[in-house]
Amino acid sequence: MTFGRLEFQFLSKAVQGEDEAGDDAEPDPITLAVIQAGLSAAADEMFSTLRKTAMSPIIHEVLDAGTGVTDDSGSLLGSGAGIPTFVGVLDKAVKHIINSGVQAAEGDIFITNDPNHGGVTHLSDVVIAMPVFLNGENIAWTASIAHWSDVGGMTPGSMSVRATELLQEGLRLPAVRLFERGRKLTSMFDILAANSRMPDFALGDLWAQVAACRRGGNRITQIAKTYGIRIYRAALRDMFAEGERRVLAGLASLPEGDHSIVEEQDSGEAWNATITITGKEFIVDLRDNPDQKSSPFNTSRDGSVISAQMIFKALTDPELFTNEGSFRPLRVLTRPGSVFHATGSAPHGYYFETRIRLYDMLWRCLAESFPDRLPAGHFASICGTVLAGEHPDTGRNFTMVEPQMGGWGATSVRNGLDCMFSSGHGETYNCPAEICEARYGIDVIWKRLGEHDGGPGRHVGGRGLSVSYRMRGPATLSAGYSRNRIPVWGLNGGAEGGTNRLTVSRIDGRCENCAFVSDLRLESGDEIIVETAHGGSWGIPD
Amino acid sequence: MSKKITTVATDVGGTFTDLVCFELDRESGRSVVRTAKTATTPPDYERGMMEVLHKGKVELAEVDLLAHGTTVVINALTERKGVKVGLIATEGFRDTLEIARGNRPDFFNLHYVKPPPFVPRHLRRELPGRMSYRGEEMRPLDLSPLAGILADFRKEGVEAVAISFLHSYANTAHEQAAEDGVRRLWPGVPVVSSHSIAREWREYERTNTTVLSAYVQPAAESYLERLSTALKEGGFSGTPYVMQSNCGIDSIRSTARTPITMIESGPSSGVWGAAELGRLTGNLNVIALDIGGTTAKCSLIENGNIRIVTDYWIEKDRKSAGYPVMVPVVDLVEIGNGGGSIAWVDDFGKLHVGPQSAGAVPGPAAYGIGGNKATTTDANLWLGRINRDYFCGGDLTADMDAAGQAIAAIGDKLGMDADSAARGIIRIANNNMVNALKLVSLNRGYDPRDFTLVAFGGGGGMHAVALAKELGISKVVIPADAAVFSAWGMTMSDLRRDLVVTKLMDLKADTADSIEIALRETEKAARTQFENEGVDPSALTFRRFGKFRYQNQEHTTEVDLGGHTVSADRISQIREDFEAAYEREYTYRLDAPVELVGIHLTATAAVGKVEMEPQPIGTTDPATAVKGSRRVDFALEGIFEATTYDGQRLAPGMRFQGPAVIEDSGSTALIHEANQVEIDAFGNIVITVEE
Repeated sequence: MTFGRLEFQFLSKAVQGEDEAGDDAEPDPITLAVIQAGLSAAADEMFSTLRKTAMSPIIHEVLDAGTGVTDDSGSLLGSGAGIPTFVGVLDKAVKHIINSGVQAAEGDIFITNDPNHGGVTHLSDVVIAMPVFLNGENIAWTASIAHWSDVGGMTPGSMSVRATELLQEGLRLPAVRLFERGRKLTSMFDILAANSRMPDFALGDLWAQVAACRRGGNRITQIAKTYGIRIYRAALRDMFAEGERRVLAGLASLPEGDHSIVEEQDSGEAWNATITITGKEFIVDLRDNPDQKSSPFNTSRDGSVISAQMIFKALTDPELFTNEGSFRPLRVLTRPGSVFHATGSAPHGYYFETRIRLYDMLWRCLAESFPDRLPAGHFASICGTVLAGEHPDTGRNFTMVEPQMGGWGATSVRNGLDCMFSSGHGETYNCPAEICEARYGIDVIWKRLGEHDGGPGRHVGGRGLSVSYRMRGPATLSAGYSRNRIPVWGLNGGAEGGTNRLTVSRIDGRCENCAFVSDLRLESGDEIIVETAHGGSWGIPD
Repeated sequence: MSKKITTVATDVGGTFTDLVCFELDRESGRSVVRTAKTATTPPDYERGMMEVLHKGKVELAEVDLLAHGTTVVINALTERKGVKVGLIATEGFRDTLEIARGNRPDFFNLHYVKPPPFVPRHLRRELPGRMSYRGEEMRPLDLSPLAGILADFRKEGVEAVAISFLHSYANTAHEQAAEDGVRRLWPGVPVVSSHSIAREWREYERTNTTVLSAYVQPAAESYLERLSTALKEGGFSGTPYVMQSNCGIDSIRSTARTPITMIESGPSSGVWGAAELGRLTGNLNVIALDIGGTTAKCSLIENGNIRIVTDYWIEKDRKSAGYPVMVPVVDLVEIGNGGGSIAWVDDFGKLHVGPQSAGAVPGPAAYGIGGNKATTTDANLWLGRINRDYFCGGDLTADMDAAGQAIAAIGDKLGMDADSAARGIIRIANNNMVNALKLVSLNRGYDPRDFTLVAFGGGGGMHAVALAKELGISKVVIPADAAVFSAWGMTMSDLRRDLVVTKLMDLKADTADSIEIALRETEKAARTQFENEGVDPSALTFRRFGKFRYQNQEHTTEVDLGGHTVSADRISQIREDFEAAYEREYTYRLDAPVELVGIHLTATAAVGKVEMEPQPIGTTDPATAVKGSRRVDFALEGIFEATTYDGQRLAPGMRFQGPAVIEDSGSTALIHEANQVEIDAFGNIVITVEE
């Protein structure tokens, strides 16, 4: 006594994976949603694996890491929580591997860190990418990126402000195999270990990334097996279409027009951008900008595209849901050989300050046109602070790599947020003082909100951070704080928010300003005082 | 001595207050179980408890053990109904509470709102004095500003004081001295020190937990007092126990000191019930699934062991960083997906279910009291999965017109008819739960096929078989009285405390003695504490765990140290145990040193939990329990004419086959086609799921 089983034939077939040729009915929206939720869960799971197993604090605490899943052509399907600037990295890496002409086989795993070979960022960020197969067919890639503590080069931590060419920043890995058909290429592991000052960390982080890719791969294979490859692919198409529909809806809410900005940088250079908004397109023109430099403040074109993606997404569809479709209306114009499209041997170590400066400039450009839609400027720097030395209690070498928090800008409806990581971060966590003191043997004297409120405004900017570290033994300091001369911008008549500062206060009373510094020698008793900027204020006070 | 032993548990939930009462006749060994349910009565929750005791005809004077679970703490937190708290922190660190961790989960959103701290800046004050991470005093505590701080607090109307100093997990002396100072200078004010709640590092998490505990303390304390008084006046002469978040119960006195430990008492008793049920029935590997009105919770029990964690957060989701609570909580995943979860279609045509819930008022559309949003319950009714003529045990008449309209509205947005929309709601709800179940199993390296799914709560039986099929689980158990299973779990609980202490040490032969000393010291402190509270020390059982990681990692893997003394010759075995557990979860091992980050001790004492007696397996024909049959839409498998059974008339030994529906007053179990059902000796519904 059964009823209505015929009408369900299609559904149960889908669930059992009987994906027969000739059955070209469109799968129902519920099945598509179930598959899509599974893909998103896979990327999240990858991220949680990476975070729990990584060796470097910059991965497991700062979460300078990301995971992602792409289709077989490298189009982004979804990414694990992490930081937004890493959402758009992994698809570019996978596309590079595919376009380089390698024949990816089941069990292969690739590694790259070279901005000229799909690495996008700087040599410290290592990408691991794994093709995923079902029945011999490549159906997806899983990939992860993580900031390793040391990849060689001229300075511990591999990021020197003195670098003049890429090779000084470490070992270049030009999208090569790490595993071949499931077989670990031991020689690659040996080369990686030999080229790091912290080989245990390098191998620990590497395995964490491999574990993450494998876990994601297993999940995706399961999904495709359950529903069949045809329906799996239909779910991907539907996802891309939704990503595009979402941003187009946001784009349609913006008036058409051109928006231009010229902004002075701390260096005295002027950068500029023109953003053209039409109903269907969002064009960012960065061609008229300075030439690339022989100092590590360049970014690859891919890195610039990510800055444009961030502001585009924030303005049109600020949800976490992101895939290839989300960026279809975006066009970015760059000039090869410029600071936003560096090529050849240009160094990239501090690319992230260039990239966040660019994001902040694009944000400012549009905020001045749409002051009700975007907040005033924030402290807008990673404020990367690297201390290396020997733990005074254990004698073990340590490297502390920390970004800093700062003030965020006010909006048309409220004051700015106090002490948050930059807009380039997301699920980034500060290091507790208790852990800092135990792990590095550095005393944290205070850690508090900056003492002054942001400047006047109808709504005031949030407070920056004030933190003081005191050395218990000799150490070296490297740091990169931009926004150290030109202050944070206010909006709609609101006041500026000040600058980011790092001061070294010597035990003998001397003080040095060290916004950008490499390998500065510190002695026991020296103090580092970090004071990050407040957010910009919004509107003229009532 | 009374002829019978009476054990009672009351569980105050968001909507209902549940009762389970066991009476064991000493002579015959026969036991009688009674259950009852009444409406929860905020803010005087004790009134609802007394009502349910009355409804269940419990003679309080004859009760031997009484356990109580309550949502009073979590409610005070989520509804922001606590008191004004003043915080005293280490000099230079009063802003720790507000800086928090600086993270922004909703990372494309430039309009993110950071969760505001529970204590504003002007009520956060500092005292000079500093401990090192090794617990050495670097700078003595200066209490001279304390009188002025407390005077300011009084002027500002502060009603509770929280104290949290750096590294107090390693040395409690400064916090203890400050706490004594507060008690001396301001007698009677509730005061909570961080070390009395957590002995682990991470100052923001510990400080926030202390603040939250102080925030709920006056309300919780007065509630526990009213509860004791009401019970005493009702004739109860024993000591009531309160369910904690760690699957154990504890005294009212101890709970009143740090009430935050009650935060997840309801879910934890359900998980414990599942673990006990597993032991009773020989299923040591269990996945517990509790589907209630607003959420579904799941937890994995391996070889009879629950897992306790201390990194619990409230109000944390993909949109908000939330607030950490560093107390021992049973490791569970909770999602906003219960019977009352609202189905909705987003602007881009995608169907979602939850996390918004229709609650008890207006409730699902079918309640007919004004709710016009389709919920999972409405879809279950529409598809015949819930009996529309026996809705809520016959207490309510299902308003099928309202349910149909609400579901049709969803269908219109999706371009499908109401039947398909209802199936869609069920499938999306099931998928949300499948993903949660994967998080506690596959995501941690466990294969769900090795586990029995124990499903309870009002909606557990409704979805369990479909979820089991999806995960390849072959055995599902729906406990007898599934709707009051959390209360059942409480009656099976022991007095229990979890002590988690940060201790950073290499795992090497020459540190073995230090590890052993740390374990013994913690054990001794727990023993003294229990003795001071009048617990017979010989009744105490300790279990030892260590939290390990490869050097330089952050996250730890917990390893059972067994009953052994940690000595130099045990180190290699401990390392092996750690690596095996690590490899299962993460697929690889490393050639790197291993370190201990903390110890975890559990102290338990039996205080009279119920011993269940199996009933004889009978030969009664299951046909005697049949109510009839009806058309049921199973969403994926199609529509079947299913036999309906009366849960109350099922008896041990009965066997039958799906498609079937088992109806009880508080829950419905759905048996899919070809699945075998057997009623076991404890009255549980055991379902063998067809591959």
